[in-house]
Amino acid sequence: MHLKQSLIIAISISIIAIGFWEFYWRSQGKIPDLDDNKDLWALQRAKVDNLSDKDVILMGSSRVLFDFQLNEWEAETGVRPLQLASAGTSPLPIFHDIVNNTNFNGTVLVGVTPGLFFSTTFPEAGPWKRAQNRVNHFKDRTYAQRFNHWLSMPLQENLALVSTSEEGWSDDIDLKSLLNNLSIGNRTGEPPMPPFYAFQYIDEDRNNIMSEKTATDTSFANSVKEVWKFFILGNKNPPEREATTNFFVADAKKFMDRGGNLILVRCPSSGWIKGGEDKFLSREEFWEPLVKSSKAHAYHFEDFNQFKNLECPEWSHLSATDARVFTTEIVKIMIADGVLINPKTN
Amino acid sequence: MLFNSLSFVVFLVIVLALYYSKIFNWTNKKRMLLLASYVFYGLWNPPLVILLWISTIVDWTAGNKLAVEENQRKRKMWLLLSMFVNLGFLAFFKYGNFLLENFTVIANSAGFEYEALPMDIILPMGISFYTFQTMSYTIDMYKRKIKPARTFLDFALYVTFFPQLVAGPIVRAKDLITQFYEEKRATANQFFWGIFLLTIGLFQKVVMADTLLADTSDTVFGSDKLLHGMDAWIGTLAFSGQIFFDFAGYSTCAIGIALMLGIILPDNFKYPYASLGFSDFWNRWHISLSSWLKDYLYIPLGGNRHGITRMYAALMITMLLGGLWHGAAWTFMVWGGLHGTYLILEKLQKQYLPFKITKWNGIFLAFITFSCINITWVFFRAREFDTAWNMIKSMFYMQIEGEKILGSFEILKVCVVIGLLFICHWLMKNTSMKAVSLKTNPVLLGVVWAIMLFLIIISQGSGEQFIYFQF
Repeated sequence: MHLKQSLIIAISISIIAIGFWEFYWRSQGKIPDLDDNKDLWALQRAKVDNLSDKDVILMGSSRVLFDFQLNEWEAETGVRPLQLASAGTSPLPIFHDIVNNTNFNGTVLVGVTPGLFFSTTFPEAGPWKRAQNRVNHFKDRTYAQRFNHWLSMPLQENLALVSTSEEGWSDDIDLKSLLNNLSIGNRTGEPPMPPFYAFQYIDEDRNNIMSEKTATDTSFANSVKEVWKFFILGNKNPPEREATTNFFVADAKKFMDRGGNLILVRCPSSGWIKGGEDKFLSREEFWEPLVKSSKAHAYHFEDFNQFKNLECPEWSHLSATDARVFTTEIVKIMIADGVLINPKTN
Repeated sequence: MLFNSLSFVVFLVIVLALYYSKIFNWTNKKRMLLLASYVFYGLWNPPLVILLWISTIVDWTAGNKLAVEENQRKRKMWLLLSMFVNLGFLAFFKYGNFLLENFTVIANSAGFEYEALPMDIILPMGISFYTFQTMSYTIDMYKRKIKPARTFLDFALYVTFFPQLVAGPIVRAKDLITQFYEEKRATANQFFWGIFLLTIGLFQKVVMADTLLADTSDTVFGSDKLLHGMDAWIGTLAFSGQIFFDFAGYSTCAIGIALMLGIILPDNFKYPYASLGFSDFWNRWHISLSSWLKDYLYIPLGGNRHGITRMYAALMITMLLGGLWHGAAWTFMVWGGLHGTYLILEKLQKQYLPFKITKWNGIFLAFITFSCINITWVFFRAREFDTAWNMIKSMFYMQIEGEKILGSFEILKVCVVIGLLFICHWLMKNTSMKAVSLKTNPVLLGVVWAIMLFLIIISQGSGEQFIYFQF
């Protein structure tokens, strides 16, 4: 048995094949990046217990993730916020976790994306379940899972071929994703979901920016718009305004009673999505009652001239450049209002 | 810790480096392996290592007492103590909620208004495997079939040896403890063969089970719709492939890793999907469990020594309990009951309708066996009877309007994978991977090995847990 010879051949061919695979995908424009998965989120969540009342936690859906830039926030306030926003989720389970499972009494900024915030309190519904899964993972993750993630970070940061994502982007290049992109006909008769390509990059602190391609390539941005249309038009569930508002207000009261500083922010949207939000999830019927009953500080982008002209390339999130401007400006406004304290000047 | 994870790669490299370094003598190497095994288990949930310690101490003590005690009544007490502790762990951690649920149903049906909240119990990973392994030691000691382990270290390592700790093979004391008595080093060929087996095992788990089959199976069994017959069959076939590749993959990894340390573990699978009948299937599927059930349950229940009726009863009880071993649900009992029924029908056929198996009818018989086994997998995989029954109705076209939820490519993919799996098992059923590898050109073997490595790396996977960890 010449196993040694076979092993040498196997290792040699594998290294060459992997090198070629990496080179090929880089030549196709793929670059190494981190996956915004539950492990990365849990790393940030784990920091909450060490925060003081001077600290800030950001939470909400993807708009908070894209639109609030941590470096700009830190530059304005001297405090680097903790980013716990989670794409495609309702912020309610995460806020509930922070209020009920920690003693944090600093500042919490909650982004209100109407379609997600007011979507549901049903535990099995997607926007709730996705968020709750992250909360559960933080509680249940094993030491082995933490170690695995720690080991995977340098690989994710340096190899384009390490591309399995929790979201399941259409441009993931792990074998399962490549196979999932293949299809023959349409046997189920269901309209196929349009391809959903990753359109952002995230770092270890979960500071997230929109990719340059999304901001500048209209056809690529249109592909993301098609996905929003698919999700929004395919959602037949009406919003649960009262249930979600009541759920949030109960936690908000508890948080503010212990000295917490709560800020609600309605981030910019534009185009078809903004039109839909105005029509079906109007400010008067959803945002304002929430602000009134929660008694939180509240900022709606439409109330400020500097944000009125911000255009979201794919209707829902700001480009990296605009996100920096938005963060800087809104933080300045909050400081001016006394909602945020600038430790640099105090 | 999972074999298909980065942390295990680091863990294994460190263990192998320490094992083959000259800084330790054999006793210290065993201590290192024991400590590594506790780390391997504890990285999942550290407090549950205590259960391993209790099991180890109880069975070590019981084994030593059984070795010297002559009083039969006291010997029985020591055996019962071991079984009480091990089966008690299983009853509490694995079957606690199941027992409570059924108690509640019985109490309510008897007119007592009783409602119990489910207990928040973590199922310790691999508890069914290591409790059965340690119990086999005590039972064999009671029957004076084996001698006690020479040292506590040897015994503790037998209970906790990390390659097979959480999902087998369930190794008998006589086959493993004795290997710890003399210093073990893998020969170069054993070491390389161990790496090859580890590669095959990971390929089965990461590529075949998780990448190619798991999603289809999850989609079908997770659906709350009444499905089209094709979808129900494809989902079931996907699960039959997934569970084979998942479990056989784990066993192959375990055997390979142990071999890299110079320790030989028994085969757990021998191409089961080409079985000619159901007794043949149980000689090929999860061999270490089926032989355990045969030696410690079927034979003590009378086996075939007390007439046909008693034999059938023993067979059925063994298979029902074998089903329950897999999980705390009635669906697992049905799975075991179906296998018990198959085995009884097969015995009746052999008695009243015997026929000769030739190469012509063999593959047809293997296909029939495989199809019948697929029906049992429906009850194994479905978490509710309703789901299982809907699947069975769909599979046998007892409902006309079924929903199509799988795409054509997905169906093609599963058909190709399962077709190749069946053909591969048929071609390999009378040989072994080692025999085939010996006949294969080393360059070709190297190329095949490289393809598997490449596919494992590009599959990456999300570190899916092995299915059998939950049993």
